[in-house]
Amino acid sequence: MNRLVFFNSINIPAPKEHIYGRLGYRKGKTRLLPHQEEEIEHYFEDALTLINLRGAGIRIPIKEKISSGIVLSTGAAFESKRLSAFLKNCHEIVLMGATAGGDIIEAVRKDSTGNNLTRAVVFDAVGGEIVDASLDWIMDYYNRELRRENKHLTAMRFSAGYHDFLLENQKIIYDILQLRHIGIKIDENFILRPEKSVTAIAGIEDIKYQNEK
Amino acid sequence: MSIKNKINSILEKRALILDGATGTELQRRGMPVGACPEVWCLENPRIIQAIHSDYRRSGADVVYTCTFGANRLKMEQYNVHNIKDINRRLAGLSRDAVGKKAMVAGDIGPTGQFIKPFGDIDFEEAVDVFKEQAMGLLEGGVDLFVIETMIDIQEARAALIAVKEITDLFVMVTLTFEEDGRTLGGTDPATALITLQSLGADAVGCNCSTGPEGMLGFIAAMKPYAKVPLVAKPNAGMPEIIDNKTVFDMPPARFASFGKEYISTGINILGGCCGTTPDHIRELKKEIQEEKPISPLVKSISALSSAGKSIFLEENRPLCIVGERINPTGKKALQQELLDGKMSIVRELASEQKRNGAVLLDVNVGVPGADEEKIMRNVINFLPTVTDLPLVIDSSKIEAIEKALRLYPGRALLNSISGEEKKLKRLLPIAAKYGAMFILLPLTDKEIPATARRRKEIIQSVFKEAALLGFARDDIVVDGLVMTVASDSAAALETLKTIEWSSNKFRCNTVIGLSNVSFGMPQRKWINATFLAMAGAMGLTMAIANPSSEEMMNIKTAADLLTQKDKDATSFISCFSGISPSVTPLIKGEGGFSPEQKVFQAVLDGNREEIIDLAKEALSSGAAADRLVQDVMVPAIVRVGDLFDKREYFLPQLVAGAEAMKKGLEYLTPLLGKDSPEQKKKEIILLATVKGDIHDIGKNIVSLMLRNHGFNIIDLGKDVPAEEIIKRIKLSQPAIVGLSALMTTTMVNMKDVIELARAEGLDCKFIVGGAVVSRSFAHSIGAEYAKNGVGAVRLARRLCEEFLDTN
Repeated sequence: MNRLVFFNSINIPAPKEHIYGRLGYRKGKTRLLPHQEEEIEHYFEDALTLINLRGAGIRIPIKEKISSGIVLSTGAAFESKRLSAFLKNCHEIVLMGATAGGDIIEAVRKDSTGNNLTRAVVFDAVGGEIVDASLDWIMDYYNRELRRENKHLTAMRFSAGYHDFLLENQKIIYDILQLRHIGIKIDENFILRPEKSVTAIAGIEDIKYQNEK
Repeated sequence: MSIKNKINSILEKRALILDGATGTELQRRGMPVGACPEVWCLENPRIIQAIHSDYRRSGADVVYTCTFGANRLKMEQYNVHNIKDINRRLAGLSRDAVGKKAMVAGDIGPTGQFIKPFGDIDFEEAVDVFKEQAMGLLEGGVDLFVIETMIDIQEARAALIAVKEITDLFVMVTLTFEEDGRTLGGTDPATALITLQSLGADAVGCNCSTGPEGMLGFIAAMKPYAKVPLVAKPNAGMPEIIDNKTVFDMPPARFASFGKEYISTGINILGGCCGTTPDHIRELKKEIQEEKPISPLVKSISALSSAGKSIFLEENRPLCIVGERINPTGKKALQQELLDGKMSIVRELASEQKRNGAVLLDVNVGVPGADEEKIMRNVINFLPTVTDLPLVIDSSKIEAIEKALRLYPGRALLNSISGEEKKLKRLLPIAAKYGAMFILLPLTDKEIPATARRRKEIIQSVFKEAALLGFARDDIVVDGLVMTVASDSAAALETLKTIEWSSNKFRCNTVIGLSNVSFGMPQRKWINATFLAMAGAMGLTMAIANPSSEEMMNIKTAADLLTQKDKDATSFISCFSGISPSVTPLIKGEGGFSPEQKVFQAVLDGNREEIIDLAKEALSSGAAADRLVQDVMVPAIVRVGDLFDKREYFLPQLVAGAEAMKKGLEYLTPLLGKDSPEQKKKEIILLATVKGDIHDIGKNIVSLMLRNHGFNIIDLGKDVPAEEIIKRIKLSQPAIVGLSALMTTTMVNMKDVIELARAEGLDCKFIVGGAVVSRSFAHSIGAEYAKNGVGAVRLARRLCEEFLDTN
């Protein structure tokens, strides 16, 4: 098993197209007046000053793969047929987690209770999209390392709470990644806090599997 | 002849040729996937030695040891711990393979970890890790070092410092850039070059990033600023699978065909990375052996860098403002935060100063009685994570300065070194070791000179000492030494003379601590701004000042224009034209807007700032408050909803319109007549985000929209247990209950609420919504579905009508 890697400051540009898309912007259809655009851009910049993207990742070999789930070399087990199928060509996985930090959530909370809901809506979208983009960045990081080993991450990633991969698995991922170390907490319902925090699993494939698809 | 001299002598005639890939060659020659290359090479020495020999025979001047991952953080995953020994033995294998016919470069790759401030590994631990590896390589007899495939500038710095602290052998550093022209850590090629060459790298460049085409742009971006040779090791394209084998798509001849373009772009040292073979290197050598590379274009450079950007202090660039606000003097809250190790005010000050136009940030953390070195370390480990502005390290404590320069992931400006003997002797070598630029303060132990003439003498004397350590004029910024005109009326003029001489005769950068000039005077901002403009005309490079002073920043912008530092007046025009946004009329009729139309338009535009004034204007022009609400604002917000439905508006516009409406209503409601529909009894709607869910921004939008349409909203907040919702339903008797949930795991709690309500005999209507909620799910639990705020308003109206009919 490789060492757990912490990323204390993930430096990526805001994925503007995704953020506008999340807010319902439709190119060629939505009409935005110059002062409205300026206001929203200003909120974008403010949001970025409130975001501190941090993350963690680790490579773990798969010890056992059965149709109902997988067992990792650490002994941790994930029960999910969909996950097992998703990892069918993999002998190893990358677990990853990231957070946009607490400041942006606090700003959304303050603004959405009457201060400036418009700004809260923009902050919320920036936080949500940028934390997703930070997982893309973590995948890029691992892909760069894997390329030298003739391997590659699966193009997609899998998260707890989707299909038959129950949200309670998030606690296992949380513990392995030691996410408390980057300021993330998990509650009794397996929800991560601050709100804009995410975890995911990607599989490691030999390059031939990528090309065979 | 030393290796450095040997390399330089080759570079005067032709490019130095590096070897090609090691990893892919090992795989090609039988190393199994998943094996540790270093251990496998020790077990199969003939294979790695054959690779080295083949590269040497194909024309490589330098072969890399197979020690890319031979550091303790990487090797521990293979349970290998004798790091020095492994490096020594692998270096020995390389040496034996090529003898003296080629040079052996000790190869140092990344640890796979990120270093503080960007990761979790302590900077000194990283230096230690690399030092251990480098010592093994040195014992194994390497001729030079290469630090390669770095994606984190701080890790590259740690490795470079480690090597330079144990040897003065030639060191190359190459980074891996992505297609967007930055490393994964966010560093661009020119910035990496500025940082690493100032820190003492003998050659800088890139490897592994792309095929040869993609890498040319990175080299071109570095060349104008390079005072050292540039290195490139591109891949042979990207891997592809043919007959179940990994192959690279670029054959040797095609790979080599880029050689001449590399030379003309400015490369001095060239080889190959993943996928390249001895054949690629042979072809490459043939292609460029007659080509003379372009020597470095500059001998010194005035540039500062952070991890993410560089600031070039070129002659005709606009005057730089160095934000002075990160300084605890007179700021009790900041003092306390620094003592407590907290950073929220530092973060705010950095963001605010950048927003207001600062180009550099001065960092002074001197709190009386505090451990300044520790505080400086905390701040330097924090600031690069929140700002890309390069830093000016401002301290009177030598230890704090040294710590800051060692840790800072860029090329910093040291503030300051004066003619004071002790500081001069200790700080000059520190600045030289870490490649910092420094502010030269023209004073000595004995005097603070009042005249420009004496200041010039001190400047020349300090610079003479600095030059002995390799500093050039480009590396210094002379402080004009600003004294207050309150105590000496000639003070400002003497400073201006010092700046003029330093800029135009001594030919170096200059700085002033602006606000000193007006100390003790009233209305200081006018003196400061005027002095800044005057100093700008004398050639001033930068001023340490507060960028939130509008007067000063405006005058700076104008002064830049008047001194030809604002090309095509771009900054001035962008700063001063088109400030007030004009509202594009959506309903404008002939003769412009009526007061009522302006109110309508304000809701439509989401103009929360002006709607109350516009409502007042409409009232004074004779409009009744009732009419303004019913005939103007309500149709306006309905129109906003229509535009949102048609996707002509998106969410921020919908919400801004609703907020403008809310503000207008809050102002007008007390003025409404008793018979106004707004004053009549309103239907109650109870809203809650269900238990387990903390995401309630959508519910807040719905709440705002419903209020604007005249409903009486009771908002229970988020994470509300079913029992609490039922209790409040019994208490308030709402016509409708709205429930929201964002996640699949919490939306099932909506069902519990509705079942409990029915079990208690409550017949209120339920509306549910949220990102993962669907119409079919809503119906399956006995609720209506609202897709968004606009839908919720329409649905609530319909349900209320039904409720009234049945009650």
